[in-house]
Amino acid sequence: MIEIDNIHKNFEANNVLKGVYANIKMGEIFTIIGPSGQGKSTLLRILNTLETPSSGKIFFDGNDLFSGKKTPVDVRRRMSMVFQKTAVFDMNVFDNIAIGLKYRGFSKTDISETVNRALDEIGLSGYGGRSAGTLSGGEMQRVALARAIVSKPDVLYLDEPTASLDPVNTEKIEELILHYNREYGTTIVMSTHDMLQGQRLSDRIGVMMDGRFLQIAAPDEIFSRPGNENVARFIGINNVFYGTIKEKYSDGVHGTLKSGNVVIIVKTNYKFGDRVTFCIRPEEITVHDHRAEPIKGRNMLPGKIVSIHRQGRMMYADIDAGITISAMVTWEQYEGSGFEEGNNVMLSFKPRSVFVMEKV
Amino acid sequence: MNYIIEGIYQAFVLIITLNPEVVDITIRTLTITLGATLIASVLCIPLGIYIAFNEFYGRKTLISVIQTLYALPTVVVGLVMYMILSNNGPLGFLDLLFTSTGVMLGQVVLILPIITGLTISALSNLDSTIRDTIVSLGATTGQFFTSMVLEARFAIMSAVIMGFSRAISEVGAAIMIGGNIKGHTRILTTAITLETNIGNFSLSVALGIILLLIALTVTMIVSRFQQS
Amino acid sequence: MENKNFKVLAIFLLSAFVCVMLTAGCTGTDGSAQTATPTATAGQTVTATPAPAETAQKEYADKELLIATTTSLYATGLLDQLAGEFMNDTGVDIKITAVGTGTALEYGANGDVDLIMVHDRAREDAFIEDGSGTDRRVFGYNYFVIVGPESDPAGIKGMAPTEALETILAKGSEGAEGVKFVSRGDSSGTHGKEKALWSVAGYDYAEYEPVWVKEDWYVEAGTGMGGTLTMADQMDAYTLSDIGTYLKYQGDGTVNLAELVNEGDDLINIYGAILVNPEKYPDTNVEVGKDWVNYLITDGVQDEIKVFGVSDYGQPLFFPAMGAFDVLSSSGVTQDEISAPLA
Repeated sequence: MIEIDNIHKNFEANNVLKGVYANIKMGEIFTIIGPSGQGKSTLLRILNTLETPSSGKIFFDGNDLFSGKKTPVDVRRRMSMVFQKTAVFDMNVFDNIAIGLKYRGFSKTDISETVNRALDEIGLSGYGGRSAGTLSGGEMQRVALARAIVSKPDVLYLDEPTASLDPVNTEKIEELILHYNREYGTTIVMSTHDMLQGQRLSDRIGVMMDGRFLQIAAPDEIFSRPGNENVARFIGINNVFYGTIKEKYSDGVHGTLKSGNVVIIVKTNYKFGDRVTFCIRPEEITVHDHRAEPIKGRNMLPGKIVSIHRQGRMMYADIDAGITISAMVTWEQYEGSGFEEGNNVMLSFKPRSVFVMEKV
Repeated sequence: MNYIIEGIYQAFVLIITLNPEVVDITIRTLTITLGATLIASVLCIPLGIYIAFNEFYGRKTLISVIQTLYALPTVVVGLVMYMILSNNGPLGFLDLLFTSTGVMLGQVVLILPIITGLTISALSNLDSTIRDTIVSLGATTGQFFTSMVLEARFAIMSAVIMGFSRAISEVGAAIMIGGNIKGHTRILTTAITLETNIGNFSLSVALGIILLLIALTVTMIVSRFQQS
Repeated sequence: MENKNFKVLAIFLLSAFVCVMLTAGCTGTDGSAQTATPTATAGQTVTATPAPAETAQKEYADKELLIATTTSLYATGLLDQLAGEFMNDTGVDIKITAVGTGTALEYGANGDVDLIMVHDRAREDAFIEDGSGTDRRVFGYNYFVIVGPESDPAGIKGMAPTEALETILAKGSEGAEGVKFVSRGDSSGTHGKEKALWSVAGYDYAEYEPVWVKEDWYVEAGTGMGGTLTMADQMDAYTLSDIGTYLKYQGDGTVNLAELVNEGDDLINIYGAILVNPEKYPDTNVEVGKDWVNYLITDGVQDEIKVFGVSDYGQPLFFPAMGAFDVLSSSGVTQDEISAPLA
């Protein structure tokens, strides 16, 4: 549906987009995640023809968006956008939602029907006559969403739509996004810096860092097989280390990896002698009592608890096992005896929990 | 101070009795000034929109010049317009000197900078997100401008009221271009000047009060429209 | 909402269009209401005898006449009265603009008006010599007055005009207590008369004015007659004024100044009407202009002028020019100017 071909964008001396490639499929929810200020908004604005790229092309359903001076209105009207900063017009809610339909010349009855249905969908039935400026932030954003969707665009762009909202309103918006995608088949391209949101909603995620997509894949894949260490770190995997493949076993798949003084068994396609980066998801590391017996098929690493900290709703323990590894910890363990900083513990994890990637 | 009290009384009498000459002057004042305001608005609001939204060489300088012209002395406008509309002047063939239409033209010139400048100000103060939203929703160029103006309507209406006020209160241009001719180009401000020169102070005060009442009425009507 | 606003826009534009048409159409068919004018400046005549039908109804291509006159003459109300009668008789639309003498002469020189009515012989002469004007007729005259504080610190009461001015100059530059003179300081007829008086007294105004201005006693107002009188009143100073404005301001109580010098040929103030030269500006309304000027020098109008102002001020504001050749001739006025109708 949308083909993004080598897009560059420079603002004066500042190179924001440095060669963006992507192919967005019709009907999918595609989320761009990445740190702030690295190009997400700019890319969305270019996709929505609010900015022109410094170089590169974008094809929207086969139409080259930037060939002529101005994108033709009929192509333009097949896309719509909701911005991070909510902007409702200085009129009542009904007129706000109706405005796109008015632009397109719908009849009064059509407009009335459509807008009222939309108001029901977003849970603001009866709000039609209210002045839009009197709404709360979350309500305004719902109105903005309805306003953008009501003219049935093929693609809806959303630039960090829930960034300024509380969790309850965020959930409402997310529900609506899913609803519109399923109900109307609208292709959704949104940006967020909340990876969990990306994980919840997307069919595919594009990780954008430093003006480029580092990885585009389904959420599961990104989270289990991050493209490189930057991606890994961004998605919250603290356990990123460097090492060298020390040996490969005869089955061609397993081998050992040495990082500092630590040697672990991994499953990888890399060859003997390769310098690699690897990461282990904290959730896949189990913390045992230091006297635990070795478990078959798992790497066992002794170590000392360096710190215990909370991250979001989870507890993590950083353990020095030669390399400092972050492991997720259960409440039971945390509240159990002998679990304090300075204590010795044993870590275990399966070889296939270690994700080996190229050294950047 | 007597003049003011007498003036208030005289204003009352003139209004109640619908004094013919005062009615004539008042209607003419309204026609000329409302006309000038409307014409200037029709010219300036689109001009203001253009300048607000387009980058072009010298834009900042142009805006500075416009704002400087807020302080254009009315008598200077009158003098320049006289030179242009005079029989000997380049536009003398239009025969606009000493006519109401000429006065209206002078007032248009006078308030052009104000309405343009304040429109630019009003539109520049609009959130850029609003602008992006309008474009995103698929507005054609015409729809874009209409929506922007609608969104900035309060501030733009203020600009128009400002222009109206400047026009209705000015005397320098009206005297030089119109000549304060009884029954033809005499308006409230020029009549006040004349009566003051002659020494009829309370009448001047009375006419001044009438002028303010008119300004008040017009402003109130526009405000009600603004609130809707 | 969109439709509503387009309707509003349409109404606005329509109103603007209507306004333009209205004002464009305001070329005098509605005319002025001569009845119940609030501008009741000087007096109405006791008997308003309309001019006899010497100016018979004529058909004119443009039934209008544009006259530039001076503020002081217009302020008396005489012109509005005469014009009203003329308009009733002939249907001509007379449009009068009252400005400073200098401005009126400029308008005439540029051909912006058809006729000027002023009171500054010297500049009128130049105007005619220039080729800007032709066919001058004198229709009335009166006298300037030197007014000042009742206390008369310089003691000029009853003196001859130039003597009075010399006395003020002498005492003023000495620094005598309370002796001040306020001058119009603009291009008005009154200021012209002041300059002429100084000239007769032997002082070249151009030479002396820069000196006097620096001294305390001589103040240049740069404003109209009313403003000048007010200033003189405030400062307890002397000033030269036309009789009409003085009587009005004094009568209303706006100022309290005494008439100290009101006799003397030097104070004479002669009103002339001059046509803008049709050879220079062929488009001027010459025919109508001539009829108006001829109207001014008819017996009927001259009679009206004679009694104008009496009911309001107890004395007339003007003297008719007719029959006053001996008074006016010393100022260069010819008999033709007083009584010969224009062809």
